[in-house]
Amino acid sequence: MDKNFQEEFMQIIKFEPPLYKQRHQFVRDLVEKYKPKKVADLGCADCRLLWMLKFCSCIGVLAGLDICANAMKEKMYTLSPLPVDYLQPSERSLTITLHHGSVAHKDPCMLGFDLVTCIELIEHLEESELNKFPDVVFGFMAPSIVVISTPNSDFNPLLPGVMLHRHPDHKFEWSQAQFQSWALETARCYDYSVEFTGVGDPPTGMEKVGFCTQIGVFIRKYPPSGLSVQSETPTEAVYKTIFKVVYPSLKDEKYLQNAVISEVIFTAQIIKRRLMSKREEYGDDPGRKSKFQLSMDCFSDQLGKLVVEKNMEPFVSGNEVYIPLATIFSFPKVNQLCGTFEKLCKLIAGKVTLSNDGSAVMFSIEHENEEN
Amino acid sequence: TAGLQVSSGLQDLSLRHRGGHRRDFHDIGINTRQAMAHVRESKTGFSGRMVRLTTNHFRLTSRPQWVLYQYHVGYNPEMEARRLRSVLLLQHEDTIGKTHAFDGTILFLPKKLDNKVTELFSRTRSGEDVKITVTLTNELPPSSPTCLQFYNIIFRRILKMLNLQQIGRNYYNPGDPVCIPNHRLMVWLGFSTSILQYEESIMLCADVSHKVLRGETVLDTMHSLHCEVGEERFRDACAKELIGLIVLTKYNNRTYRIDDIDWDNSPKGTFKKSDGSEVTFVEYYRKQYNIEISDWMQPVLISQVKRKMGNIQGPVILIPELCFLTGLTDKMRSDFNMMKDLAIHTRLPPEQRHREVGRLLNYIQKDDNVQKELRNWGLSFDYKSVSFTGRVVQGERIFQSQSTFDYNPQFADWTKETRGVRLIRAVPMDRWLLIYSRRNCDVANTLVQCLFKVTPSMGICMKKPDMIEVDDRTETYLRVLKERVTHATNIVVCILSSSRKDKYDAIKKYLCTDCPTPSQCVLARTLSKPQTIMTVATKIALQMNCKMGGELWSVEIPLKHVMIVGIDCYHDTVSGKQSVAGFVASLNQAVTRWFSCCIVQSRGQELVDGIKACLESAIRNWSKWNNCLPSRIFVYRDGVGDGQLNTLINYEVPQFLNSLKSFGTDYRPSLTVIVVKKRVGARFFAEVGGGLKNPPPGTVVDTVVTRPEWYDFFIVSQTVKNGCVAPTHYNVVYDTSQLKPDHVQRLTYKLCHMYYNWSGIIRVPAPCQYAHKLAFLVGQSIHKEPDVALSDKLYYL
Repeated sequence: MDKNFQEEFMQIIKFEPPLYKQRHQFVRDLVEKYKPKKVADLGCADCRLLWMLKFCSCIGVLAGLDICANAMKEKMYTLSPLPVDYLQPSERSLTITLHHGSVAHKDPCMLGFDLVTCIELIEHLEESELNKFPDVVFGFMAPSIVVISTPNSDFNPLLPGVMLHRHPDHKFEWSQAQFQSWALETARCYDYSVEFTGVGDPPTGMEKVGFCTQIGVFIRKYPPSGLSVQSETPTEAVYKTIFKVVYPSLKDEKYLQNAVISEVIFTAQIIKRRLMSKREEYGDDPGRKSKFQLSMDCFSDQLGKLVVEKNMEPFVSGNEVYIPLATIFSFPKVNQLCGTFEKLCKLIAGKVTLSNDGSAVMFSIEHENEEN
Repeated sequence: TAGLQVSSGLQDLSLRHRGGHRRDFHDIGINTRQAMAHVRESKTGFSGRMVRLTTNHFRLTSRPQWVLYQYHVGYNPEMEARRLRSVLLLQHEDTIGKTHAFDGTILFLPKKLDNKVTELFSRTRSGEDVKITVTLTNELPPSSPTCLQFYNIIFRRILKMLNLQQIGRNYYNPGDPVCIPNHRLMVWLGFSTSILQYEESIMLCADVSHKVLRGETVLDTMHSLHCEVGEERFRDACAKELIGLIVLTKYNNRTYRIDDIDWDNSPKGTFKKSDGSEVTFVEYYRKQYNIEISDWMQPVLISQVKRKMGNIQGPVILIPELCFLTGLTDKMRSDFNMMKDLAIHTRLPPEQRHREVGRLLNYIQKDDNVQKELRNWGLSFDYKSVSFTGRVVQGERIFQSQSTFDYNPQFADWTKETRGVRLIRAVPMDRWLLIYSRRNCDVANTLVQCLFKVTPSMGICMKKPDMIEVDDRTETYLRVLKERVTHATNIVVCILSSSRKDKYDAIKKYLCTDCPTPSQCVLARTLSKPQTIMTVATKIALQMNCKMGGELWSVEIPLKHVMIVGIDCYHDTVSGKQSVAGFVASLNQAVTRWFSCCIVQSRGQELVDGIKACLESAIRNWSKWNNCLPSRIFVYRDGVGDGQLNTLINYEVPQFLNSLKSFGTDYRPSLTVIVVKKRVGARFFAEVGGGLKNPPPGTVVDTVVTRPEWYDFFIVSQTVKNGCVAPTHYNVVYDTSQLKPDHVQRLTYKLCHMYYNWSGIIRVPAPCQYAHKLAFLVGQSIHKEPDVALSDKLYYL
């Protein structure tokens, strides 16, 4: 079911940006405000909202649930990491999981979330499912925030061609009063507070009908208790995981190590090249020195500033160039990645050729053979 | 050593960027064979010994009586959005079934619907009733060209299911990259795949592909360029380094080609969104992707999108900070150390390459979802690659003056055998110039001494050169050339201190156009090693001799009155706009002398316009040398991009035929046009003693993995030290010679022996390599047509 299309038919009342985008933006603003770490989208369909949320840097865990596996499968690859995510692993860790299942069933994989969104979901539920829904979401999952959006039937007369419901799969559409009474009752029952808002402004003069999409934001009143309701009924996994990706992250030692080694060697190479070209410049053809020297100096500016202590100076001995780790560590990128000098040493141990005392990166100057 | 590169600036850069955004990369549906009666029955050769080969092709099999049902899907009222069309149709999954492929108009199903026309009714949310009419338009047999498209769609679906990442045309596994921190490179292993109709069956051709990704953004590269070249040359350097490169963006999975850099724009600039509102780049990326652009002063990149993507039309603007570079620049390609480090990871030996490809098939076989998808469609693969027999044709006998010799077929190289043997034609060096800078005085003297040692046995009569010491500036070189080069000068040798391109270009330009004289540039570094200096001097002597019109060796060419033509193209991707077609044609019976000319044309078109004029002057020159007109003409055409075959056949071949007409109606030579392709997906592995090895040079394949609608064959002519040898594909698109396929194959192989810059067999026929060299020199350095006075010499070597 693709709920994002319905508005395309509302030719007369046209929302700009489209209503589904407004709903997604609403969720995103909420995320920016509350900075949840774990977010679940129930009824995630084509994963569009999840895709949008993966760019929010506060989120470390994203989960989607839908009753229709095909809808998710169609677009789930949009949630995969991009090549660039591997090239430049991010600071944060991010795991995205998609589950196939019903919101009328409890599954432990849905525990521990900070925010659960149910965007245009409840109106698709059969009565029996709707009856179980509050217990699953508010009682079992019990996140700090729940967002529920649903069509506002008070608005329907303004929509051309809508006879009964906006979509044939809708089992009901609630008026503002109906939704609010259901929401207030639910909130009361599970100890949440609820505030009502919406997206899709009514035309001027008709403010009474309310937003086209009505939204309830539920905030849990009691503090997180660790083990609460779920301990009484140990539940088994009933959802089927159909997709799971773990984004490359610097939190993962493997990626951090790669990033550090790469940065260390690259930095050392730059220093070595500057050192060598300086030697070469001085070595022959003194006539041309002045002109080249200029650009060379601006090149090594950063290096010059950093090399303050004598023992940080790179040097050549025999057939080897030595670049002190201390110098490399003083480069901002390396510094930022490792944090401490000890960490740097630990990460590159055995992966980068070091001098005997382990204080410098060592390169052979067995010269850059252009021919073999 | 055999791999020596003597001249500076002559690094063999392969042509980048052919094809571009074209749909049909495989030239499906072009049937050239049916027009050639003599190969309609059989296009196979017979000579040589048999060799057992395995390849990287896997049969695609379908259920018996398999049919694919193609439906047209219409909407009433008409629905515009593709997504919407799809959603409305898929509401009826119970009717059309769970297995389907739908692109918005055409629906493929593995099962036939009950009726030829099925009417379905969907209701949109606004209550609008939509009638969907699903009409059967075709029942496709497995080998139908439409099915091929379908197979490739399904296969892409499968690769996605295997969690492989698409970059460009290929799919890569991001999970286990190889990092090369020395150069800030990351290599992803992946696969290039295609499903095509081959000789007897439909097969998947899968090859290992390596994607080189760079751990730096375009902005990083700009910063280091700025440090390297300074303010003054900065913009030029950026253009040179970046234009033509493919970038990946940080926020989506698209690749873009950098076509230009807009220095007047910045992330603070605005653009119009699809809804018509204006937004700055900074704001857009913040809102859309939560990305903060840190440098607001950077310029922006322009990418000309050829096909319409969604609502975006016209150029796409990219922010350097958000773009990562892929692939290698020319500069990197010429970095020997970098290429060496890369080769360790990318040059897989035969056994390993075959295993890596097998791994893909293994994934397919093991993945339940993939197997289910294939089963639903009634398709499956043979998980073992196809094996068959090829032929290894006999090695050629090399003739050089009075002596003849055979080379070791295993190495395909006769450097040793040719040592101390007189050349077929040694051009004396009576008057020649040697120009060098003061600091290279010693190497200049060494070079002269060594040349005196190596030239006598070749039969080259050499006098002392005019030794001219200059200061190391381009202007000085040019001044000396103007003062000292005369008509009597045989050749000019310049020793250069660095591989700085501008100096090389200036020298070549002057000596190719203003004052046509053969020239040889040598890097001082090349001459500085005592242990290799004799080898280097030998190579230089041979190369200079060729540039002055000398001849080194020959092979037996059994055909009489034959003229062989080679054509290749060079596209200037940087300053854009210019393409050069190099054209060479043999002048004598032994095919040891070559006429050349080239066409410089604006705008990057692959197929050449001025070819008619080239062929006419080639024939005129041939007749001057032989006192008659050639009765057989063979054209080896390299540099034809994927998907351009049709244009070549409809446009270029008629040009050849046209130019023959200008020699009178009686003149009816036979014409054979052969398209040469070096970049092909096919790989062959010789089954030797239970293991897999590279097939030996001279391996010919003209069955099983060739295309039924073409008169085509593969030859493995060269050897490689590391990795897998790549076969060259030859497609005879036009042939009135009546020669047997075997003879065309043998002639082609013979010509791979005739490239004078390499005493061994090369990958393509010599005329192609000569044409490539010529086009490269003109395209890179000279930028206009060289003087005709040089046209009978290999001055471009």
